[in-house]
Amino acid sequence: MSSLISVAAQPRVFIRRVRPNRLSWFVSPLLVLLAWALVAQSGRYSEQLLVPPAVVWDTFKDLLDSGELLEHTRFSLSRLGLGFALGASGGLLFGIALALSKTVEVYCSPLFHTLRQIPSIALIPMFILAFGVEETFKILIVTKAVFFPVALATSEGIKAIPRNYFEVGRIYRLPLRHLIFDIAFPAAAPPILTGIRIGLSRAWMVLVAAELLAANSGLGQMIEMARQLMRIDIVMVGVVVIGLIGFVLDHGFRLLEKRLFRWKTR
Amino acid sequence: MNASLKQHWLDQTTHLPGSLDIRGLGKQYAIEGKPLTVLQDINLSVKPGEFVSIVGASGCGKSSLLRLIVGLEAQYSGDILLDGKRIDSTSLERGIVFQDHRLFPWKTVEQNIAVALKNHPLTKKEKTRLVAEHIQLVNLQGFENAYPHQLSGGMAQRAAIARALINKPKILLLDEPFGALDALTRVHLQRELQRLWVQQRSTMIMVTHDVEEALYLGDRVIVMDARPGRIKHEIHVNLPHPRERHSPRLQKLKDELLTELVGSDHVEVAHV
Amino acid sequence: MNSLVHLLRRGRGLLLPMVLIGLWEIASRQGTAQAYAFVPLEVIGQGLVELIDSGALLISTLASLQRTCIGLLLGVTLGIAVGASMAMSTVVERVIGPLYHMMRQVPILGLIPLIALWFGSGEGAKILIVSLAAFYPMTLNTFEGFSHIEPRYREVGRVFEFGPVQQLTQVLLPSALPSIANGALHALAFAWVSSVGVELFLSTGAGLGNLMMNAEAGSRMEVVVIGVLCIGLLGYAMNQLFTRLSQHLLRWRDTR
Repeated sequence: MSSLISVAAQPRVFIRRVRPNRLSWFVSPLLVLLAWALVAQSGRYSEQLLVPPAVVWDTFKDLLDSGELLEHTRFSLSRLGLGFALGASGGLLFGIALALSKTVEVYCSPLFHTLRQIPSIALIPMFILAFGVEETFKILIVTKAVFFPVALATSEGIKAIPRNYFEVGRIYRLPLRHLIFDIAFPAAAPPILTGIRIGLSRAWMVLVAAELLAANSGLGQMIEMARQLMRIDIVMVGVVVIGLIGFVLDHGFRLLEKRLFRWKTR
Repeated sequence: MNASLKQHWLDQTTHLPGSLDIRGLGKQYAIEGKPLTVLQDINLSVKPGEFVSIVGASGCGKSSLLRLIVGLEAQYSGDILLDGKRIDSTSLERGIVFQDHRLFPWKTVEQNIAVALKNHPLTKKEKTRLVAEHIQLVNLQGFENAYPHQLSGGMAQRAAIARALINKPKILLLDEPFGALDALTRVHLQRELQRLWVQQRSTMIMVTHDVEEALYLGDRVIVMDARPGRIKHEIHVNLPHPRERHSPRLQKLKDELLTELVGSDHVEVAHV
Repeated sequence: MNSLVHLLRRGRGLLLPMVLIGLWEIASRQGTAQAYAFVPLEVIGQGLVELIDSGALLISTLASLQRTCIGLLLGVTLGIAVGASMAMSTVVERVIGPLYHMMRQVPILGLIPLIALWFGSGEGAKILIVSLAAFYPMTLNTFEGFSHIEPRYREVGRVFEFGPVQQLTQVLLPSALPSIANGALHALAFAWVSSVGVELFLSTGAGLGNLMMNAEAGSRMEVVVIGVLCIGLLGYAMNQLFTRLSQHLLRWRDTR
């Protein structure tokens, strides 16, 4: 078939092709914001159900000024960071071992894959009973949430490195250092980084849940407390901040992936 | 040539072969704002039951021509008339076989052929019978429940032909139908197509790169030139069917055609 | 002898779990403080018997499963509808898209307090959360599936005079089915997890999460352990079921 680009009309048009510009992405959020303000204004719903956006904004500023918001955020993020460091490093090491050693694979992988099926959330009551309601259980549950996706991605990423890459290395008699950094790492890094990103998202989710249930600091606890006090404005601020952090983490990693792996054809 | 002809469905033909009249056809595309003339002043008359082959180098608009006739493209200048009626959209009266068979991967052979009858006013029993007949017609018995990915290229294309024929279209278009197949399968399917055409005598227009194929099957061979696409030359093939591939007359016509085509090669050098 | 060796070789994977269970048992006998966390196996066994006898295990399991199924049904249906329309209409994409992506950033369980404030803590609120959890991946995957439909199949539909409904059922939906199936699989996982999660939080009504929260309050580790195992097992079983189902529905695919 000739490869000409056609701008022909399709008589039986089923799909409408409107061509809006970039600004149109903002239209509906703004409309929703407007509707929200108007409905809250009308007083149809009680203060406790629907606070106007302006009030939420003021609450946000108050929380920011009093340092409360930052402190809760700090607590949450430090738990996340610590758990992430433990889980990611453990996951990387175990993943490498799983991929490279047949022994490890034979003895450990059934258990690994079984434990992997257990949702982190389900482990919260167990961890609370075993480790109490202090910091330990939260950090450990984050560790669990990060460990499994990272270990899986690492082991699969390494196993997926084509044999011929290493053969090329052997032909040129490259030393081990080169094999690892110039061949293995770039080949396996993309899926590993994806695994890390997934682990981080899941960890953030689990941490928020854990803080909702059993904590005396942190963003999750902040919104749970607010809920009990019927302060929906604080709840909204908390929800938005949680979403924002999740977004920044996730997209930050995606950007990192794109930049580091520009050579990868998508 | 096998003799497993089923005449009775021929008698139930609701669509008699149609006549095609193309007058002063022109087609332009817009590429980055600039108009590109793909077809210029095409004049072609196809008699009912005639088999016309179209050959030409890449870029001469032959595929665009077929797409206009079948109605997939609707904007054009000039006239395309089927039995006197202007063509402006797709219709069950006009069938097409693409180079990539375009069978739906998620349907079996039987279901794929039946798809053509979705908008056809027949009873369910009739449709089932018709589908079975056409599967037999293209010798795909036993493969009714196979999925396209399980078929060879030749088999898939045969199913596509059955799908195109089951509606008994007034005119059947074939866009390089055997281009993606290996040489042996191609020869085999050319023979099959000739057999089907002799049986049905539908009006058929086939676009092909293969000069021998064009002469083997066509009553007339149209040679098109590129940039802009227009008709350059016409050859009448007055040989009886079934034809011999190696007959001296055919070979002579082949030489004549090749000379026509090769002569326009110097235009093609600069383009891919 | 050969078959024994063969069996032992295949059972190598069980070695580590067995060793760990053994260690667990030993740890539980080290003194009352440890028995708290590491309950002896026989206590777990007793707990299991008790749960089955009292019917609590069955009730909880059924409650969780029911909620998951209802939420899944709602979330998946809505997800397909929204995802498909976003893919096929730029207008819908621009209107719903930004809202969808914004909401998606907040972990489902983080929305619980908000939803609890607005809709209370009854079964309805829980189903809402599970539906939402299923909705997100379903929409995304459906959107992907419908965005990449090959125009050449649509053309075949046009040649055979397909109307809009026929195009949808004969061409678009089957073409998008692999992505939809993938979305459903993810939706299942999310729905199951959030069904349990929401019970941990809104502990009214029945469910496995509830079972565990009550056990946690009563310091009954053995019930918690049983709960965890059930959750993992059921999640795995449902996943396998869905995978088999989608393999059957997608048997037309070229497996190369």
